[in-house]
Amino acid sequence: MDAVLAVVNAAVVLAQEAGGITGSLNVVGYGLAAIGPGIGVGIVAGNAVQAMARQPEVAGMLRTTMFLGIAFTEALALIGFVLFFLG
Amino acid sequence: MDPVILAAEECDLTQPVCAPENVSELFVFDTTLWNTPITRTIFLFFLAALIVIGLVYFAYRKPALIRSKFQTAIDAITGFVRDEVSIGIIGPEGIKYYPYLLSIFMFILVGNLFEVTPLINFPITSRMAIPGFLAILTYLIFVIVGFAKNGFSYLGDIVWPSSVPVAMRPLVGLIEFVSYFAIRPFSLAVRLLANMVAGHVMLTLLLVTGWVFMTAFGEVSIAKQGAGVLWFGLGLGIFVFEILVAVLQAYIFTLLSAVYIQTSVHPEH
Repeated sequence: MDAVLAVVNAAVVLAQEAGGITGSLNVVGYGLAAIGPGIGVGIVAGNAVQAMARQPEVAGMLRTTMFLGIAFTEALALIGFVLFFLG
Repeated sequence: MDPVILAAEECDLTQPVCAPENVSELFVFDTTLWNTPITRTIFLFFLAALIVIGLVYFAYRKPALIRSKFQTAIDAITGFVRDEVSIGIIGPEGIKYYPYLLSIFMFILVGNLFEVTPLINFPITSRMAIPGFLAILTYLIFVIVGFAKNGFSYLGDIVWPSSVPVAMRPLVGLIEFVSYFAIRPFSLAVRLLANMVAGHVMLTLLLVTGWVFMTAFGEVSIAKQGAGVLWFGLGLGIFVFEILVAVLQAYIFTLLSAVYIQTSVHPEH
């Protein structure tokens, strides 16, 4: 674990010295954290649309459950966003 | 040419943009208690509360069978929270929690919509105290209701769930316990806060960048003014998106509060 952190830190420092790239690891961390919830929200919404197409009369209940699912999966992306400011 | 002033303590009026040098300066808090000044957040907080009380009071002051337009509009909101959220999610005894759910829905809705009202442009729910406190209120309600209705079997059903094979019960019980008592209030608050902070930061960056490109630095060139108009236009587009996010986040907070109360009232589901 320490070795991985050391390698990542060395890579960031090298990039900053060589190409004049500035910035911090916060942005990279947030970007990585946003991959999962992005795919997850897409899966939830896609399945909800498919279910609404199969049985339109329960579309209201499906919409409510879709919002619930989106809220849960998006929570991790938002925690990543908060940690971006704390890092 | 006036500088654009962005929430900084003191201002150098010769620069085009006057900003705090570090974005975390926006998140500092004052630790004195009795010397707390009346800040913009406090003032808007009381304004939001007054608006909510005023809307509901003036709509239901003279109940009539033929509703006027304003009464129909407020009926839409209160009826929606009652039918879809309180009774729809919690069941027939959800009417006991309806005042609380309606209050938080309308307060968060007004607070979020302050982001898009023209002279205010600051969502009060982007300061952690407000979503944090509302999440703590929901947390207290669903924990106390859980213990009041089910006694200690509420805790027993969480850490030793009966719908899971016995070998997995310790692990699932631990995950459920941490989820119920730690993750739920935290994620409830952070979801609302981060959505509002992200929207506010995005709007500020886009609109101020567009404005500075259009009016600052003296020279007028097609590239600079064009870029300014583009950024400003994108900012106005995000404005519309922010209205959707405001309403959606208020609805999701209320919906999740109702779902958590429902799992306390009917733990067998």
